[in-house]
Amino acid sequence: MTDHTGHTRAHPAEILAPNAWGGMSFQERMATAEFRIHHQPHIVVDGKVCADCSTRECVVACPANLFVPTSDGGIVFNHEQCFECGTCYLVCNREGAISWHYPEGGHGVVFRRT
Amino acid sequence: MTARSVPTDRDVDVVVVGGGPAGSCAALVAARAGLSVVLLERGPFPGSKNMYGGVVYPRILDELIPEWWNDVPIQRWVTRRSTMLLTETQALTVDFRAGAWGAPPYNGATAYRPDFDNWLACHAQAAGAQLITSTTATGLLRDSAGTVIGVRTDRPDGDLTAHVVIACDGVNSFLAKEAGLYEHTDAKHFTLGVKETLALPKHVIDERFGVRGREGVDIEIIGATGGVNGGGFLYTNLDTIAIGVVLKLSKLGAQQQRPEQIIATLKQHPAIAPLVQDGELKEYSAHIIPEAGLTMMPKMTTDGMLVAGDAAALCLAAGIWLEGVNFAMASGMYAGQAAVEAVQANDTSAVGLAGYQRRLSDTFVLKDHRKLRRAPALVLSDRVQHLYPGMVANVVERMFRVDNPNPKPGVRRIFNQERKRAGVRRRDLLRDGWTGFRSFG
Amino acid sequence: MILACLKWVTHPGEPHDERFAGISPADQSALEFALVQAAALGLGVTAVTVGPAGAEKVLRDALACGAQRAVRIHSAGTLSSAEVADALAAAAPAARWVWCGDYSLDRGTGSVPAYLAAALDAQQALGVISVAWQGDGVVATRRLDGGRRELLSVAAPAVISVEGATAHLRRAGLGALRAAASATIDVVHPAAPAHIDEAVVRAYRPRARALAAPLGEQPLDRLRALAATGAATATRVETVTLAPPAAAARIAAALREWGYLD
Ligand SMILES: Cc1cc2nc3c(=O)[nH]c(=O)nc-3n(C[C@H](O)[C@H](O)[C@H](O)COP(=O)(O)OP(=O)(O)OC[C@H]3O[C@@H](n4cnc5c(N)ncnc54)[C@H](O)[C@@H]3O)c2cc1C
Ligand code: SF4
Ligand code: SF4
Repeated sequence: MTDHTGHTRAHPAEILAPNAWGGMSFQERMATAEFRIHHQPHIVVDGKVCADCSTRECVVACPANLFVPTSDGGIVFNHEQCFECGTCYLVCNREGAISWHYPEGGHGVVFRRT
Repeated sequence: MTARSVPTDRDVDVVVVGGGPAGSCAALVAARAGLSVVLLERGPFPGSKNMYGGVVYPRILDELIPEWWNDVPIQRWVTRRSTMLLTETQALTVDFRAGAWGAPPYNGATAYRPDFDNWLACHAQAAGAQLITSTTATGLLRDSAGTVIGVRTDRPDGDLTAHVVIACDGVNSFLAKEAGLYEHTDAKHFTLGVKETLALPKHVIDERFGVRGREGVDIEIIGATGGVNGGGFLYTNLDTIAIGVVLKLSKLGAQQQRPEQIIATLKQHPAIAPLVQDGELKEYSAHIIPEAGLTMMPKMTTDGMLVAGDAAALCLAAGIWLEGVNFAMASGMYAGQAAVEAVQANDTSAVGLAGYQRRLSDTFVLKDHRKLRRAPALVLSDRVQHLYPGMVANVVERMFRVDNPNPKPGVRRIFNQERKRAGVRRRDLLRDGWTGFRSFG
Repeated sequence: MILACLKWVTHPGEPHDERFAGISPADQSALEFALVQAAALGLGVTAVTVGPAGAEKVLRDALACGAQRAVRIHSAGTLSSAEVADALAAAAPAARWVWCGDYSLDRGTGSVPAYLAAALDAQQALGVISVAWQGDGVVATRRLDGGRRELLSVAAPAVISVEGATAHLRRAGLGALRAAASATIDVVHPAAPAHIDEAVVRAYRPRARALAAPLGEQPLDRLRALAATGAATATRVETVTLAPPAAAARIAAALREWGYLD
């Protein structure tokens, strides 16, 4: 068995090492899906409502990792690489924190092999 | 079947929202009966927004597309199904092979949804439905009495009136919610599916999974999703494999484990690692699943409107064994038939559309849901998720362990010891066993 | 008549898959300019593409956006830029204004507009980054080296090729989209070219960029300047320490000065 660098895998333990699959970064992971970005965000997060949210479930649950906590206790959100799955508005139980719509037709994620 | 001319007071007879399996079957049936039909899809082509685990069960298409297997764009015919019970170091697999599933009329197949859904929408178009892509329905049009008379889209001059709206807009169905058909939405009724499509040469897949040609494997996995209740899956495509996890939304945030980390952990399990090793990530994807069955289902019909597929929570999620595409196709087909009846009888009120609910109740669509109504809660329960896999695996390990010169202990004794060790009460075990037997038995 | 030339190309990642095919942002901008101009001059737009039957999708989209007529010049294989231009000119000899994208999705050479201008004996303004309307004519802005701009006053007949994202293509209305689905598309079979050139496919290479001669009195100084890292852009290097808002303003000013921002 050889890996992508051409080295022979000597040890089964290597398979279990955390980076055994090339140690792909999250950005590289997201780059495998196509997103036709619309300039207008289809999801808007109201940072003021998030400021005193203690659960922060969106941060853990969003599969695209789009909710990023800031050092001053807020949340920054970027709509560009969104799967349009709906997880965030379902796990968030604060009224008014997330305003969620589908992007304009023809925009957003485009799957190919899934 | 009478060919009707273009309706006078509405733009079309039927507008179907959503070019997934439910929408395309609804549009196909209505168009074939001679109705004027528009099929709206928000993606650039049907299937472009749709992600799932990986296996379709298309037998219901026998009724719509004879010999559908001749041109359906599938990856592999599933001839081998396994269910794996994993603990951190153990794996117990139930493996079933059926050679007959590899020949017409087949059973299940792995397929990419952007291919499958697009193909099905082409059949709807061939039947006469007009497919409009890159167009999102943003709301319902209603008359003064509240009857649904069409949809608004996000295009200029974007209103489209119709005698019947069939909402096949998937799990988030904003149309069904706007129509007031859902009482409420609760995160605990949903699971999140995340998946990696990994490229591997075909011959490597054939060797690792013990299949040939177009034969494929379908593996469901319980007990390797960390602390998050859910399950895993692993499916073979022609030259990729799909590995992913399905996670209970209400547990995900609380457990502080990110979805891709849970997949990574699953991929490192000693029973899984050799199967996925060296697979190169081709696509990462995510989607949610309405998994609470009857508990969450909305009203299916209102004046001028029907709801089908995931939009009506008709996906059958018996825990980790997911069947949604076939339920979507069947419910879409029945919705299409009911719409045809109603339009031809000139009564598209909820009463005129009642044929839909009747068909759902009389067929596998609701019968299976009734039969398996306790299964999702059982399979995703804390006991099945966190206690039983270890307990069962330990029992089997002790049965198989050769501990000479000690004599083999009796199975019943091992079982009771392991049950106590796992902290499972006999009463709970019996109750879960009975629920499982009534659901799956 | 106003002509919008749209090149239908498959996606570089999915070359055999028509679901991912389309036109470039530059071609979209060209179509938008054509439609705006047509409304101002009271003329109709003809959308034209050279390609296989699958390419009709982009013509229907153009009709839905407001084009009056759509023509597909049939071609199943690869044609040279000159052949494409000849076919386009033959299909629309009376075109007053011709709008093209500066590049297509498959990174063609962008030479079709120039050949087309020659074939139509028209004025040309190529690689345009902004367009202003002046009477019946057009003032087109082109980017030159060193951040300079060139303003071209263009009169019909003319061929104008525009860069991507210079105009935002309007969204087709629902009614128009539905009507376009069954509209007629004229299909033209180009006359076989007198002599068939082998289509030359070359690897993509960025175009050469002119650089200033290195500074220095003596040849040795000039050599040293060349050999030092970043010599070519040395005049642009400047290190400043500023507060974030001032830094942002400084960066924007530099980009403007170098011609990357308007
Ligand atoms: C991780 C995962 C694994 C699964 N595994 C399996 C499996 O192995 N086998 C199986 O059979 N099922 C599986 N399912 C379930 C299955 O995917 C669904 O049940 C099925 O797709 C439902 O079909 P549908 O047509 O109702 O909805 P969808 O397939 O979701 O289609 C809805 C369509 O509507 C469009 N749409 C939505 N809103 C609008 C709007 N406002 N305007 C216009 N268009 C709109 C969407 O773009 C989409 O094309 C799985 C699901 C997931 C998430
Ligand atoms: S989006 Fe909701 S869950 Fe996330 S931080 Fe804001 S309030 Fe909390
Ligand atoms: S819809 Fe899904 S992918 Fe998009 S932000 Fe919400 S959770 Fe993340």
